[in-house]
Formats: sequence, structure tokens, C-alpha cells
Amino acid sequence: MSELFVVGLSWRTAKVAVREKLAFREDEIADTLHALTHDLPVSEALLISTCNRVEVYGVAKRDSDAPGVVRTWLAQRRAAKLAELNDALYERRGPAAIRHVFAVASSLDSLVVGEAQILGQLKDAYALSGTAGTSGPVLSRAIERAFGVAKRVRTETTIARGAANVSSVAVELAGRVFGDLAGKSVLVVGAGKMSSLAARHLYSNGAQRIVVTNRSPEKAEALADEIEGTAAPWADLEKLLAAADVVISSTGAREPVLTRAMFKRVAKVRKYKPMMIIDIAVPRDAEPQIQDVDGVYLFDIDDLDKVVAANLAERAKAAEHAGRIVEHEAGQFEHWLRTQGVVPTIRALREKFAQIADAEVQKGLDQLMRKELTRDQQRELVQRVVQLVINKLLHNPTTVLRGSEKEQGELRAGVLAELFALEISDHPTTEELVESPAEGSTERKAQA
Amino acid sequence: MTGPLSVAASPAFWVAVVAYCIASVLLLGVLAGKANLRPAAVTFVVIAMIAHGTDIGWRGVQGVHPANSVREALGFLAFIITGGYLLASTRYRLTLGGVVVMPVSLVLLLFARLTSAGGPAEDLTALGRIHISLATLGVGIFALASALSAIYLVEDRALKRKKFDTAAFKDRGAPLEALDRLAHRLVWVGFPIFTVALVLGAIWTSRLGQDLGRIEYLLAVVTWFVFATLLVARQIYGWRGRRAAKLTLEGFAAALAVLVIYLVRRIVG
Repeated sequence: MSELFVVGLSWRTAKVAVREKLAFREDEIADTLHALTHDLPVSEALLISTCNRVEVYGVAKRDSDAPGVVRTWLAQRRAAKLAELNDALYERRGPAAIRHVFAVASSLDSLVVGEAQILGQLKDAYALSGTAGTSGPVLSRAIERAFGVAKRVRTETTIARGAANVSSVAVELAGRVFGDLAGKSVLVVGAGKMSSLAARHLYSNGAQRIVVTNRSPEKAEALADEIEGTAAPWADLEKLLAAADVVISSTGAREPVLTRAMFKRVAKVRKYKPMMIIDIAVPRDAEPQIQDVDGVYLFDIDDLDKVVAANLAERAKAAEHAGRIVEHEAGQFEHWLRTQGVVPTIRALREKFAQIADAEVQKGLDQLMRKELTRDQQRELVQRVVQLVINKLLHNPTTVLRGSEKEQGELRAGVLAELFALEISDHPTTEELVESPAEGSTERKAQA
Repeated sequence: MTGPLSVAASPAFWVAVVAYCIASVLLLGVLAGKANLRPAAVTFVVIAMIAHGTDIGWRGVQGVHPANSVREALGFLAFIITGGYLLASTRYRLTLGGVVVMPVSLVLLLFARLTSAGGPAEDLTALGRIHISLATLGVGIFALASALSAIYLVEDRALKRKKFDTAAFKDRGAPLEALDRLAHRLVWVGFPIFTVALVLGAIWTSRLGQDLGRIEYLLAVVTWFVFATLLVARQIYGWRGRRAAKLTLEGFAAALAVLVIYLVRRIVG
């Protein structure tokens, strides 16, 4: 039976210095896939190369050590010493390979568990192997099932819940306060790089407009241009705060620029409509007491880190459940794969039976056309055709069974009994005993 | 015409009780992170509501209506609360709300069906029936607003105190702004209904010749004042958020006290 395998390395086993040696550019992948399936004992192949993993998924040709060959070939192709890569490269075969690809697609093997990027990358890799013509029935089925498993994991667990970086946390927290960011305005206080990143993230998530204010108007103008916002004078800070729903602050000031007294006035002007302050400056721009003002939610950089940590912990917990889903799905896939080994036999059996039946039916029909038959003669003809088909179908198995040694014969008889659900009596009939030396006599009789 | 004071609990009542229990447990499971229990939890809330409604209908056929007595009204109140919760949860994720609302509906229903019907019914005129119906509806709407306000306070506290590992934060329920807006709208709808109920109640009571200075009547007036203050203060001073949520809960507590006193009087006689 052809076996699915994977050979590769990932962030778990190799540092970036090693990963970059093995990485493939997108334009190299088609040639690599062709080389894998033409020069090596690999019948189907897929190659995924991202910043965190380089993996070859393949189906080994019968009786070959394809994973071992691929491992050496990869090292040679990237002009690296195999010894140097050996510790980093891993290989999984059969069931382990299936589990691996399911886990990779479900983002259980990712650096940030639950991130969605890997699924897209795997889909791209699959599309490339499709274009190159190197993904066959086994690999296609495995990869497509992996996409299904990934979808199930994302639906049934909380693995993808919660932001996993500081910029996304700002959006997540804003969602807790406002729900939808549509129509909300963002004020960026200070022109730091981190605040521009967070503001951009809020904007791409629906915030309506971004205003930038900074002690140096030139810097405010420059940042506003960069993030498609508008610059406003620092002197209007309090007025700007009153008009903002989300404030992102990261000035280089040594003393707080956002004070509790200021926000008490701002909240009153806003009629206590909720507002959120993300203070990512160190030292902090906002006095912690601002938190006590009704309707104002203040988060500093430590809070954002805490949210990331809590989300990652939640994802780790969900990963256990996801692991059970992967295990269950892998079991089902293995079962499907096992049944594929007997498919050619079933097909051949059906073809042979159909061939015999067709030939005998045709003979019967010829006889029917040649002469006029009475009703009784027609019935006799049909019975004879059926008998002939049965005899021909059973001729070979009966011959082999009779000619078997005792032990082998019993084994074969047992298999036949199971396959055809036979109820076997212990004592042969007189007819069977009489017929035994000259098997096939019934068949000859029927043909006559 | 005065109908029978009470009838035996219907089979639908027991189905509702079991469904409420299961829904409560499942919602707790969802809150604890078992997201895949959510569809089952919603299914049991729906079953509970249908069975609860069937029980009310069955009692109606026997001549026992929600407007018959405060006890019956309580059963109907629980039904309104469950229905309102179900309606609101089609728009927002309200797991935390469900964990509060389901046991409350269950307790109200058990109280309404399993406590003693008390002494003979008061002289229930049409005015009395309308008063009870409107008061039940008004308090039911206030109860929903209070449930949302309670969720608001829990979520607000989690955000203000940076409790990022609590169930309130992890549940990712309805956003604060939406909870505040929805609670405010409910108070807007419930207030006129409650006002009419209060006026009709005062007329009915005076016709019965009862003393209007009884504690439950005074508490009903307090309830009205609290919600009136809430609406005016929001309109003029922009009171919202935590302050509005607390006031809503205080108003509802007063309304609940009125119901409890009525009930105790009925049971004790």
C-alpha cells in the first residue's frame, strides 16, 4: 500500500538560521515538486515553505524508503550538509503523517496556536501542487480532509479566540466596549510607531476617522499622512479628547499628559458616553486614576500584555480539545486509507463476474433468437444460463480449494464462509462425496 | 366573575422545570469554556419556554389566568423574562445573562406553582385584572432591563479592574455600549406600562376601600420614582453606564419587594 509521509523542519526543531537554508521561494516550488515525483520514489508531492516551516508531504511508491531519500535529497538540493540538518529534520510516516498534517492545518503546531495564517498557506501550497500536477488521490484526500478538520477545530473549540498581539488587543478591547467600531473616531496622542500601528489596526477594523496630535506639529503631520488621518494642534487636546471614542497615547513625555481632572471634564462634556484609552507609552502618559471616571476605560501596556497572555492560555486549553478532534479524524482517515488497499481487488472481482455473466447471457440470447421456443423451453434455457454462470464463477475457487493442503484448505474455506456468510454442515452429502474426484462434472452436464 | 384560585401543576410545568435546570447547567458549561454546549443550551431554553407557555395556556383553559392573582402573575413574569432573554440572545451573546436569567425564571415558576394559593381571592374586578396584567408586563420588562444592567456591571467591573482571566471577560458577551442602550430602551418601554398599572392599581385599591399607605403601595411609588429619575437624568445629564445600571437594579429591587410583600400577604392571609 502507498504510504503518506512528511519530511521537514519547523520552528520547533530548527532556528531561523537553519530554516532559511531549506526555505523555497514560490517560483522554485513547481520545479521542486516535479523533481520529487520524477527523480525520487514519490508518486504524489506537496511542498509548503513558510517562515516557520518547510515540509514535503508525499506518497511513497511501493516498497521504497521515500522519506529517507527525500531527506538526503533536500540537503543536497539546498547544498547543506545532511549532518547539519539531521537534528532539525523530522519525518512522519503513515498514521503519524496524517496526524501531523491535520495538526498543522488546525494550527496546533504553529508558533502562535490558533493563528489562521497557516491554513491559508497550506491551501496555497495545495493549489501549487495541483497546478504542478503532483497531488494525486491520496494526498488530495488527506489535504482536503485536513482543511475540514481545521474548520471543525475552529468551529468547535475556542482555539482562534482572542487577540494574540498588542495591536489586535486594542481592537479586541474596543470591541468589548463598543461592539462595532463603525463610526467611532480614534485620537492618536504622540507620534510613536506603536501607536500608529494600533491606530491603523483600529481603522482597518471599521473606525471612521483618525486624528493625530503631537507637541511637534510636523511629526503629527507626517504620521497623519502615513496613516491617512488628519493632524490637529496639541493646544486643542482636551477638545480632541471629547470628540474621540478611542485614544491611543504614546508620547515621550516624562510626566502624564492625560490627567484625571481632564477626563472628569471630558466625560461630562461627552455625557458619559464610553471612551477607551490605550496607553502604550513608558513612562505612562495617563494617570491611573483616570480609571475611576465613569465611562472611561484605561489600559496600559501591561494590561495589553495580560490580555495576550490570558488569550494564549485560553488557546492552550482549547488545544487539548482540538487535539482530540484531530485524533478522532485521523483515525477515520486511516480507516479510509486502509480500505483503499482492497479497492483494486474488489474492482477486478466485479469485472470478472460481469464478464462471465455477460458471455453466458449473450449465448442464451443467441439461442433464443435462432429458434422459436415454447414457454417451458424458455424457462429451461434461463435456468441453464444461470447454472452455467454459477458454475463458471465457482470453478476456479472450487478447484483451488480442493487442491489445497489441509491447513491452507481450512483457512481458505473459513475465508470463503465468512465472505459469503455460509452456514456449513459438518457432514458432506452423498452427492458431494460421489462428485468429488471429477469436479466440474455438473458444469459439463449443464453445457451439454 | 372570579375563577378558581389554583389548579394542579400540568405535565408541561414539570417539563419546563427540567428544561430550565438543564439549560442552567449547560449555560454554566458554556461560560466555563465549553463552546460546543451552546446549541444544546439554546435548545433547552427554547424547550423550557415552550413548556412554560403550554403550562400557562393549560391553566388558562382551566380558568386560572395570569391576571387572577399575584401568584399566577409571577409565573407569567418568569415566562416574559425567558422570552425576552431568548429574543435578546438572537442578537447578542448573553451566556452570562442566561446563567442569571434561567435560575431566576425557574425559581419564579416554582414559587408560582408550588406555594400555597392562600386564602380566598380578593374581589377581582376587570380593573383589578388589567392592573395585575399591566403591572406584570411592566415589571417583566424592568426585570429584563435589570438583567442587562447586572451583566453591564459585571463586565464593566471586569474591564475596569482588568480581570482578564474571569468568566465575565472570557465569555465575550454583548458589548457594554449595547447593554446600556438595550437596558435604556427597555426602561423606556416598561415605564409607561408601569405608570398606567400604578394609576389603575391606586383606583382599584381605593375602590376596595384599602389603605393607600400600605408598605407595598409606597414601594410601588418608590419604584416609579426611581425609573422616572433614571429617564430624566439620562435625558438631561446624560446619566448612563454604571450609574444608570445601578439605578435600574435599585428600581427593580423595589418592584420585586412589592411582589414579595403581596405574595406573603396572600399566603399568610
